[in-house]
Amino acid sequence: MSAADFLNLFIAAVLLAGVYAAMSVGMTIIYGVMKIVNLAHAGFLMLGAYFVFEAYDRFKIDPLLGVLLAFPVFFFIGMGVHWLLVRRIATSDQPTLTSLLLLFGVWLVLQNLGYLIWGNSDRAILTPRTLSSIEIGPISFPTIRLAVFVVAVASLVGLEFVLHKTWFGRSVRALMQNKEAGQIVGVNVNRTAQIAFGVGIAFAGAAGGLLAMLYSFNPDFGATFQLRAFVIIVLGGLESFGGVAVGSLILALAETFVILILPASYQPAIAFSLLVVALIVLPEGIAGLWAKRRRWA
Amino acid sequence: MGVKEGGNVGGSSVSRFVSVVVPLLLLAGLAAVPFVGTGPNVIRLLFMTLTLVTASVGWNLIGGFAGQISFGFAVFYGLGAYTTALSINGGIPPFSAFLLGAIVAAVASLLIGLPTFRLKGPYFAIATIGVSEAVRVVMMNVPFTGGASGYRIIDKARFVQSHHYYTALVLAVLAVVISILVRRSKLGLALIAIREDQDAASDLGVNPFVAKLIVHALAAALAAAAGGVYARYSLFIDPDGVFAFRNGIAILLMPIIGGIGTIWGPVIGAFVYGIIHEEVVANFPQAHLLIFGSLLILIILFEPGGVVGLFQKFMRTVRARSSVGSHS
Amino acid sequence: MAPILKLKNLTRYFAGLAAVKDVSFEIEPGGLVGLIGPNGAGKTTLLSLIAGSLKPTSGKIEFEGVNLAGAKSFRAVRAGIARTHQIPKPFRTMTVHENVEVGLRFGRHEKAAGTTKKAEEFLEMVGIAKLARRPAFLLSVGDLKRLELARALAARPTLLLCDEICSGLTETESGLILRLLCDIRRAGTTILYVEHNLRAIMSVCDPVIVMNYGEKLAEGPPTAVQNDPSVIEAYIGKKATI
Repeated sequence: MSAADFLNLFIAAVLLAGVYAAMSVGMTIIYGVMKIVNLAHAGFLMLGAYFVFEAYDRFKIDPLLGVLLAFPVFFFIGMGVHWLLVRRIATSDQPTLTSLLLLFGVWLVLQNLGYLIWGNSDRAILTPRTLSSIEIGPISFPTIRLAVFVVAVASLVGLEFVLHKTWFGRSVRALMQNKEAGQIVGVNVNRTAQIAFGVGIAFAGAAGGLLAMLYSFNPDFGATFQLRAFVIIVLGGLESFGGVAVGSLILALAETFVILILPASYQPAIAFSLLVVALIVLPEGIAGLWAKRRRWA
Repeated sequence: MGVKEGGNVGGSSVSRFVSVVVPLLLLAGLAAVPFVGTGPNVIRLLFMTLTLVTASVGWNLIGGFAGQISFGFAVFYGLGAYTTALSINGGIPPFSAFLLGAIVAAVASLLIGLPTFRLKGPYFAIATIGVSEAVRVVMMNVPFTGGASGYRIIDKARFVQSHHYYTALVLAVLAVVISILVRRSKLGLALIAIREDQDAASDLGVNPFVAKLIVHALAAALAAAAGGVYARYSLFIDPDGVFAFRNGIAILLMPIIGGIGTIWGPVIGAFVYGIIHEEVVANFPQAHLLIFGSLLILIILFEPGGVVGLFQKFMRTVRARSSVGSHS
Repeated sequence: MAPILKLKNLTRYFAGLAAVKDVSFEIEPGGLVGLIGPNGAGKTTLLSLIAGSLKPTSGKIEFEGVNLAGAKSFRAVRAGIARTHQIPKPFRTMTVHENVEVGLRFGRHEKAAGTTKKAEEFLEMVGIAKLARRPAFLLSVGDLKRLELARALAARPTLLLCDEICSGLTETESGLILRLLCDIRRAGTTILYVEHNLRAIMSVCDPVIVMNYGEKLAEGPPTAVQNDPSVIEAYIGKKATI
């Protein structure tokens, strides 16, 4: 394999990692603040995909713009779901099975909603951008992947800004580290939880839209990406944003380069196997390893 | 979550009478069905429901008694189905084929459990999803068993529906008996202790790892037997059918609907699921997940104890009202 | 007589902080040893290490000559060590009776026959026999503490580790428990007793070990320890100089 081919694959992996990171960060926020594993994440990815699709199909809104619109729309949907359902169950410092099952139920409902509204045929978002590519010397990559990558990274940067420069962001980080201490210093736990849930779902919806620009989709869409999100946040350490970036990169690289060895139909198994291995070998993810190294130093 | 059910908690003689007589009546009724002339469709429905009872009761051993919620039991159901199918085609008599499926699944459960039981609740659940799906994808690609196109069983025996029906019935009864025996045994005590507080259980001498591995193997064996019985009936299986993620969900949903952690909850839940599933798929094929998803949400929010929990609450209010009345 | 428990340089770190540091002492069989120290001194951590609930970072725990360091708690129970928890950890959906049954059936002497009767004996001992059929989640803190003790005793330990079993109890109830401890000790069980109630400790225990900041500060008979200047400093502070 030539250096150009290798570089192409590598860049493809990096571009993919960006989207994967945007896709997973929503779960990290929700888990970090509320210790809830959001199994409905897949459902919102799916809804986000259809949202952007409909915006493009009916209203001719450019998908990238559609993705940006998805943020506020899904933010409110997320807050709504929290108000309606999530706030009624007890949460603790440890992830609970009650929350797991509740959100699983929500996922089932969302999936069915998808089937009812859109049927189960595959859809795709095709714009002139979809088929063009950019060439720099021997390296070429599809424009769409670059565009999606840019939006993903921009949103992640935006999130970083919010987390570090706003009161809400500080509350979120406080609660992620120590819920009780956060309460003591005056963080409004319920409000922050609700907003955090909204932000998490916002990212899910927007990421769904981004993914819809790269892949065809149907109401089952969320499932494989959700599993990938699990892999990423487990690899990265469930509550670490830096970990999400690292985890995304590892998964994207593994998936991209494994095609050289195994037939493509085995690809989903990569994510699953990586997940299981990650859970067993790295229970605290890479972030945990990193933290431990600092301790030994 | 779970039902406040101690082993010997003040059960009145009435409720103890009910809990023995009702199941026996149900059993008698089910045994009589093929003779009552209800037609093959009803028998097929009950057959499916009875296989679901076995899988549901099995899952409840590890998910209900021990509190380890697995989302991936489809893997054992599927392993049972495929092992049975391969065995029957290889000339092995059906009941041995079921047993072989159960053994294969039990061994698989050890391989899966050993590394994953260290993980806490949701991580364990996620890991089980990963394993189940990984196996499904692999089976979709393995040519030996037909891959995605599925696998056919060539059963030399003539198809007699009632044979299959009674097999499923006997297996379901066996599952419930095993469930009762485990619950009443020292192992059952250990499992509940582990569920409530694994560390405290260990601090009192319970070896949580061994207990969980044993019950996981039992649970897997039952789920696999259910899969095997199903395979022999339908004569055709494919990875997207038996290893499907939604099977794993169904297997976990049934005990939750009926009352997780109880003896009869999984049985009730299987009947509820089986019948609703049949009706819904027939009349509203589109709303299948919606109904079960909503049911799950409602149960989690309002009555985590499922049908059994509702029933116990009902009995408590009845008892309270009657004792108030008698003091007047 | 050989000591029943020997700790050698026992250490446990939590992310760079030494909760227990280089602690060494011996307990003679049949002793009723008190362990005191200010909050955060590492007393509960030390108990957890001995019981096997926590793994030591380094050091040795010799119980009846066998090194148990790193063994999981159920192995320690089989060997003869049982503990109570500072914050009670009942099996909430089980009845009080069933809670004790767990200790009884998985503890050191496993007896299937006559289980019911024996469990009730332990409930009698700690004074909660009338709560036998009550689900544990309905109990008050004081009763939960006594359940902890009953459960641990049901496991028939040769070494009993008590963690603040009198907190949450009235004066009378505490007295009952202390008398119980003395009875158990006389029947042959060795006891290591962590407590905040200094009067209780000083009245029944000998020797008394004092910990602070994870280290052993002093060890000796109650009066000696009470007058040890470093112990006084740990609890109250240095004498002020004006």
